[in-house]
Amino acid sequence: MAFSVRLLLGQIQRCRPIVAINQTARCLSQAAPQPEPSADENESVNPTFVNRNPRNLELLALAVKERGWKTIWPRREFYHRLEFSRTKNYVTANVFSSSSAVPVLTCSTTEWALKKDLYSTNCVSACEAVGQVLAHRCHQAGITRMVFRTVPWIYRSDAVQSFRTALKEGGITLSEPRRKFVST
Amino acid sequence: MLRRQGTNLPGGRLTGATWKHWILSMARSLPPGLQESCVVAGVEKVDIGFPYYRTSRIKEVKERKQLVKENRKNAELERASRLRTLKLSLDHVQEIWEKTSGPFHIKKMAEHYGVFRDLFPMAHFLPQVPLRICYSQDTSAQVYYGNRLTPTEAASVPQISFEAEEGSLWTLMLTCPDEHLLDNEAEYVHWLVGNIPGGAVQAGEELCHYLPPFPPRGTGFHRYVYVLFKQEGRIDFQEDARPTPCYSLADRSFKTIDFYRKHQDDMTPAGVAFFQSQWDESVTNTFHTTLNMREPVFEFSRPPVYHPPQVKFPHRQPLRYLDRYRDGKEHSYGIY
Repeated sequence: MAFSVRLLLGQIQRCRPIVAINQTARCLSQAAPQPEPSADENESVNPTFVNRNPRNLELLALAVKERGWKTIWPRREFYHRLEFSRTKNYVTANVFSSSSAVPVLTCSTTEWALKKDLYSTNCVSACEAVGQVLAHRCHQAGITRMVFRTVPWIYRSDAVQSFRTALKEGGITLSEPRRKFVST
Repeated sequence: MLRRQGTNLPGGRLTGATWKHWILSMARSLPPGLQESCVVAGVEKVDIGFPYYRTSRIKEVKERKQLVKENRKNAELERASRLRTLKLSLDHVQEIWEKTSGPFHIKKMAEHYGVFRDLFPMAHFLPQVPLRICYSQDTSAQVYYGNRLTPTEAASVPQISFEAEEGSLWTLMLTCPDEHLLDNEAEYVHWLVGNIPGGAVQAGEELCHYLPPFPPRGTGFHRYVYVLFKQEGRIDFQEDARPTPCYSLADRSFKTIDFYRKHQDDMTPAGVAFFQSQWDESVTNTFHTTLNMREPVFEFSRPPVYHPPQVKFPHRQPLRYLDRYRDGKEHSYGIY
């Protein structure tokens, strides 16, 4: 989504540094006319600025969250969602964004980097290790807030609890900021 | 006899119009990303990087199986795992990750942040060379793939290290696709170094000296992307060399795709790293002293509210329905 802004022409003052010995330092304000004869190229600014960064609005909590889906579970009101799955032999954690079906970040015990140092790839220690490494990768990726939804009987298990504590100790916040509604 | 348009057959199968209605409402309820993947993709993207070569899989699997077997025999590891005291060394994990699945994860993150879409439209590459970029002496301000840094931390030239064999030549570029104050599709080049011998960036030909990031106030987070190209031979960068010192934003206007198209026969993108940055006080100094201009300050204006196309006989709509399509003229509600 484009992030368009209006240029605020407020009282922005600037002091020019002393260029030559003859000239004195002058303070220019928005209202005063430009005394220099040559137009400054850098001064031209488009009044509408569009920031193309797709993650900018999410980081500022201004992006649209998919409201609705209130009669079913889980809801889709998030920017990033965390999914934790345990299969017979492996443990996988995925981070999805609201706009993609493909996970944005993954951490799994199928990867050789983790498999090499673990005794077993589907025990509670493996879940904890996955949590630690995922927290490290999320920090590197700039995604520190996400939503984690599971059913209560899975949430209460030791594996999920240790995964969650490992993530929190790694510095990830498992809640998202509320969306800011701006008028006009 | 009236024929039913669609039926619910025994066994739960839908036919005809019922099926069409179900599949359309299902498709519309999916998030935008999934909707796109359902629609047939138009143009295919070009891979402009190096092809990914895997080492012999049989040997690798044999070695890994051996190591896993040894792990299973290790009593200490078993005890630590059972008592839940096992702690992995994150640096070790990072090292092996960089060699094995790192490039794929970094490519996914680059697509998530729209780096390929904005820098190389209709193209993508696998960043096979891991770039290590540190702004401070310790690893507190390192550039990974999307982490947040302040312009104060990124004010000075960073330490760069990457694996390079003797006699190879590289080009390093730092651009910001979001910062341009005039044209939305252009970028500003913050640093451009060409003909870097081996891994020493200081010995390269500096075509554009380092300019610290200057995200204007109110515009939010900007991406600053480092791209590393591998050169096949020495390239003459005379056309791209900017005058030193270069503080004119018109000179720094840049399009990565044009720069790459000019030299695409001699260089290939091999590595990428990017960080995000927001306004802070040092940006005011950059505008006033370095760029010698007034600092622009922006305010967020949200896009106009969406209304569906106007219908001649709106069903169950209030009288102010007409005001939504009156294009900002005087409203008629509030007077009744």
